[in-house]
Formats: sequence, C-alpha cells, structure tokens
Amino acid sequence: MRYLPLIPLAAGAVCAPVFATQYLNVEQAQKLMFPDASAFREQNVALSLPQMQQVEKLAGLPARSVNWRVFGAYKGDALLGFMVLDDVVGKFELISYAVGLNADATVRQVEVLTYRESHGGEIRTPAWRRQFVGKSAAGGGLAIGEGIANISGATLSCTHLTDGVRRIAAIAQVVLKK
Amino acid sequence: MMRRAQPWLGTLVEISVADQLPEALLQAAIAAAYDEVALVQRLMSFHDADSDVSRLNRAAPDETVPLHPHTAAVLALAQQIALVSDGMFDIGCAPRLVEWGYLPAPAPAVCQQASGWIDLGGIAKGYAVDLAIDALHRAGVRYACVNAGGDLRVIGREAWPVSVRDPRAPSHTATVVQLRDEALATSASYFSAKQHEGRPVCALVDGRSGQPVQGKASFSVRAPRCVLADALTKIVAASGDTSHPALAAFGATAFIL
Repeated sequence: MRYLPLIPLAAGAVCAPVFATQYLNVEQAQKLMFPDASAFREQNVALSLPQMQQVEKLAGLPARSVNWRVFGAYKGDALLGFMVLDDVVGKFELISYAVGLNADATVRQVEVLTYRESHGGEIRTPAWRRQFVGKSAAGGGLAIGEGIANISGATLSCTHLTDGVRRIAAIAQVVLKK
Repeated sequence: MMRRAQPWLGTLVEISVADQLPEALLQAAIAAAYDEVALVQRLMSFHDADSDVSRLNRAAPDETVPLHPHTAAVLALAQQIALVSDGMFDIGCAPRLVEWGYLPAPAPAVCQQASGWIDLGGIAKGYAVDLAIDALHRAGVRYACVNAGGDLRVIGREAWPVSVRDPRAPSHTATVVQLRDEALATSASYFSAKQHEGRPVCALVDGRSGQPVQGKASFSVRAPRCVLADALTKIVAASGDTSHPALAAFGATAFIL
C-alpha cells in the first residue's frame, strides 16, 4: 500500500494577493521625507473624545481610531515635523501609507509603503487584513521593490486614501501642531 | 529598481526607475516627476475650486478665462480628438458623471448651465504621465515607467513587461505586453460599474449618446504618448472598433479583451 505524501498546504498558508507591491519601509519613508533629520522618535498619539470630535469636524470624516502611530523628526533638538502611519481598506485594496507633516501641521508628502489587492471578498475579512496591517516595516512577506512589473487596467479610485490623508492632516492640526 | 507610489489625480501614480544612478539623483528625478503630476492636478482637477477646469466651469458663456499653457494644450488636443471621433470622445460628459455620482456637483450658485461643465478626467492622467516622463528624462533617467492607475508610459531601450488585467477577473493578468518607448492605457467598467436609479452605469461614457458603455470588455490603446493612449481608449470603448481611423491618425493601435 502506498501513502500519498500529504502536505498541509492549507495550514498557515497565506492567501497571497495576486497584485502586491512593497515600495518603501518605514525607515526609508522617514529618510525620504526628512533627509535633514538626525533622529526619529516614536511619539504615538491617543486621541481623547473631544479631540476625536474636533478631528471629525475639521476633516468631515469619522476619526475612525483612537490610537495613531507617529514619529517626530528631529535635527538635534529642533523638531522638523512628523510622520504618521496608517492603513486604509478600499473596495479591492489594502494600502499602508505614511504622511509627512511639517511642524505647523501642513502636509509635506504622502508615500505609499505597501499595496495589496484582492478581489475575492477577503479584503473585507479582518483575518485577511491582519496578515498585513501594521507590517509595513517588516514587509509582510514582500521584499522592498518586489511586486509585479506594471499593470494596465481600469482606473482604481483611491478616494479612501485621500480621505485618510485628510483625516491625518486634521489630527495633526488638533494634536501635533506646534 | 526604485519604485514609489503617491496618490494623485484620484488614483495611485507609480514611478519606477531602473537606471543605475546615485540614490540622491534618482530621488531628485522622481521628486521632479511628481511635481509635474501635482501641477496637472492643480490645473485640471474637477474637484478643486481653484483649478483652471473649475474656473472654466464657473465662467459665463462669453467670458474669457486665462489658462495655463498645459490646460490649453489638453483642451486643444481634446477638441481635435473629439473632431476625428465624431464626438465619441467628449470632455463635456461631466453632467452625466455628476448625475451618476462619479463627480461632485460644482457649487450650484455659480453654475448656471449644467450642460456647460467640462471634465478632463479622460485625458489629463495621460498628459500628467507624459510630463512626468519628460521630467525624468531631463533629470538623466533613461529607463523608467510612470503608471497613473493603469495609464502608463515607458522609456528605455529594453522592453518593459506590462500586465493587462483580465476584465472578467481583474486580479488576474489576461496578457503581458512588451512596451518600448511607448504608452499603454486601458479603459473598462469593472472598477466603476454600479447601479444608478435601477440601471447599470459606469464612468465610461459614449460622448455621442451620453450613455454608459455596456459590457464587460476592456479597451487598450498603445500610442507614442500617454495623453493619446488615454483619450483614444474612450473611442475604442464607444465604437468597439480597434481599427477606428482616429487610432491611425495619432499613430496608435488598440486591442479589446
């Protein structure tokens, strides 16, 4: 009797998205946005209820989250600005991105860190997203620069990303502005 | 290869540079290219009240509106393409796109004539890609790709492989096209299709009838410049004709998937 070698393919297997690209890691984005900075200090933000209400009023969008991952960029002791990290989920895509802000809370630069796409509906499931969210620095299974060559197709709208940038600009106004 | 992506023109604009240049030079070249894309957004956005397009849309019928040379160039080309396509390509489709919820209505107090709105959404992305490619070239880059959400152009002696989405399964590649010093743009309804008042609509409009393009196909055009590829996909989508005379008139070819 012969036994078929049973490989546990399903166990722990990541349902890899077909189209995915890692553009930058967190450190690369920091250096790109603040080339003069000598240090980046993590200074995460927890919004109070009144602050969330202020953000909603300024952005015209729900504040969505209490906790935000923020880095201060410094040259010596002088504050140059901030970089805020976030993830947004669209109809088919999960985008991790960074917003660079000046010390006066004006937006300086927006960079996409990773892009992942899925059309199977699993983008809506928390388990699928958890594989990737917040893993921009580690790459979440992709190396920097890795991904498909280039795609031509119908234009994918990124309204949720521009909304995300607007929300972060409002948060900066409310809690980061010096 | 250095790859970056930023949100512009309502989509993601991806710039890939394969030259072996010092990192500082590459970064400066990419920054200059994004500056050009940002300029096109500032001038031609339907959403921004200060853009040339919004100022035109607010203007009274006989009013003269001073425009940036880039906006004037895009309007002139749009007019030329409208002529050779008997109006299939039409930048005056904005009222339909507003009605179907793809564009926000401009402030009603300053818009007397709904029929007068223009929208450069069917051509400005391609123009921005061309400007970005020119900026990269000026900065010494010789091997690059700029992709504005599916409308792209490449430069370089070696071919760039480009995946074209399968319109019936957009997360899959239907075909891979090798591009060398040319542009490719694709239009399809798979990302924008929805129901409006009980009937299917999408962001692709036939300029002659004002009706949405039906069906699940995708329409791709290869052309020397991305502004041409971008605009000509609408003619192929409206006519279903890959040998429409407008294509040859601009040195372009097309395929339908």
